[in-house]
Amino acid sequence: MSLLTVTVAAIEQVTPLVKHFTLMKSDGGALPAFSGGSHVVVAMNINGRTHRNPYSLMGSPGLNEAYHISVRLQEKSRGGSAFMHEQIKVGSSLQITYPVNLFALAKRAHKHLLIAGGIGITPFISQIEDLRRTGAQYELHYGYRSPEHGAFNDVLKQRCAERAHFYVDSEGQRMDLRALFSQQPLGTHVYVCGPNAMVVAVLETARALGWPENHIHSEQFTAPPMGEPFTLRLAASNMEIMVPAEMSMLESIEAAGVDAPYLCRGGACGRCELEVLSTNGGLMHHDHFLTDAEKASGKKIMPCVSRANCGYLEVNI
Amino acid sequence: MERGYWIRSKPVYSTLIWNQQATAHLVVAEGVGGGMAVLKLFQQMHPEHPITVLYADHEQGSVDYSATLQRVVPEGLQLYATDGAALQAVKAYLPQARMGLRIYVAGSEKFMWEIAGICTEYGIENDEICKELTGTLARSVYCVHCKGITHDVHSNVTACVDCGRMLFVRDHFSRRLGAYMGLMVDAEAPGVLPEIEEIYP
Repeated sequence: MSLLTVTVAAIEQVTPLVKHFTLMKSDGGALPAFSGGSHVVVAMNINGRTHRNPYSLMGSPGLNEAYHISVRLQEKSRGGSAFMHEQIKVGSSLQITYPVNLFALAKRAHKHLLIAGGIGITPFISQIEDLRRTGAQYELHYGYRSPEHGAFNDVLKQRCAERAHFYVDSEGQRMDLRALFSQQPLGTHVYVCGPNAMVVAVLETARALGWPENHIHSEQFTAPPMGEPFTLRLAASNMEIMVPAEMSMLESIEAAGVDAPYLCRGGACGRCELEVLSTNGGLMHHDHFLTDAEKASGKKIMPCVSRANCGYLEVNI
Repeated sequence: MERGYWIRSKPVYSTLIWNQQATAHLVVAEGVGGGMAVLKLFQQMHPEHPITVLYADHEQGSVDYSATLQRVVPEGLQLYATDGAALQAVKAYLPQARMGLRIYVAGSEKFMWEIAGICTEYGIENDEICKELTGTLARSVYCVHCKGITHDVHSNVTACVDCGRMLFVRDHFSRRLGAYMGLMVDAEAPGVLPEIEEIYP
């Protein structure tokens, strides 16, 4: 996968846990154009191991001299967010993928309902730029833990005015999703990005109120779950590697020098799908891509987030 | 037709089935077949959320389901004398509708795709609409030469109403136009036509 080399031009501490990074092309010039909701995957070299995390692009899609990403320091960081917060300085060089959009605005929507929780606000910032440019009808509903954790709320208040609604958890303000979804005009699409409980609540509430599936959009960048170590056989590469407890299958395959396809690294896009040839244990599917029937068949696995509880697993790569 | 031959764009219609999650229901139907489809729908259950049924009862023939519908439909039944009047009623209904509404349509293909076209203006995609083809297999045919549309075509070959070319009716379907593709059948050998047969009664 071709990569872009960027240099960190600025770092801003936005909230106690969130840092905003401005990235510019190391050899100067313009970065590739992108659309609202896009992300890039940042490759980090942590103790000789390549670690890849996806981050939403927050800048205006129309401006391509710099990319903007925000990183929340995770309490249980697997290394990526801590590395970005502690090791990356102005002038540091990073390798990033070209932008990919798995959270695009539905162009035929008549109204866009954006639901953000915490750091899940980031993809909406570029989407809002697109919505403002096209004059589309939208509303933002943004919840966060406490006043000091409301990243970018000043910017959003200014840009979105009465279209933005804020919910501060510590002040007892909660979104009433049922009430919100019950009064939307036909042709509304809902988009959610935030903690798992919020994403699940939005999906379930919208479905329970009869919203068609193609009007419901979500994105989550969850770290791959940890598990028990196991042996992974790469049939086409004729290799046998270990998947440690704290690394994903995809990361382990990459660490072994095998070029594996990927896009979202969050179990959403399906790009990294691998054929399962054999195993002596059970697959643990954590993706949102395979159907329940496909998961049950045991023939496919998404190595970015899924793993196995087994002695060995053989995949066709 | 060649066995196993299948065109991806050709719509596959199902039967009307209530959506259990819907918070409101709009049922639109025309003709005797459409009336029966609505009656079958109410055989499944009487949903608890609000129901609106718009029925174009234009076939005053031996069978008339409107009286039965008036007994069966618990609320919201409106009868119209023409398809056009029912379409106008759909246009009047949609602006105040909210997400959670599910739409069910039964009737000819022309009728269903005219309603799908109206719904598109309100951001409802056609695959969100439950459709049941009833009454006729008649096709609307889009002339790829002059862009005219000939309605109510029952045969494999038909004359374009606009340019008069003899068109072979294909299975390629445009959801935007609600019509099948029609291609000049005797372009290479003028006047040499295949046997014209009624295959869309």
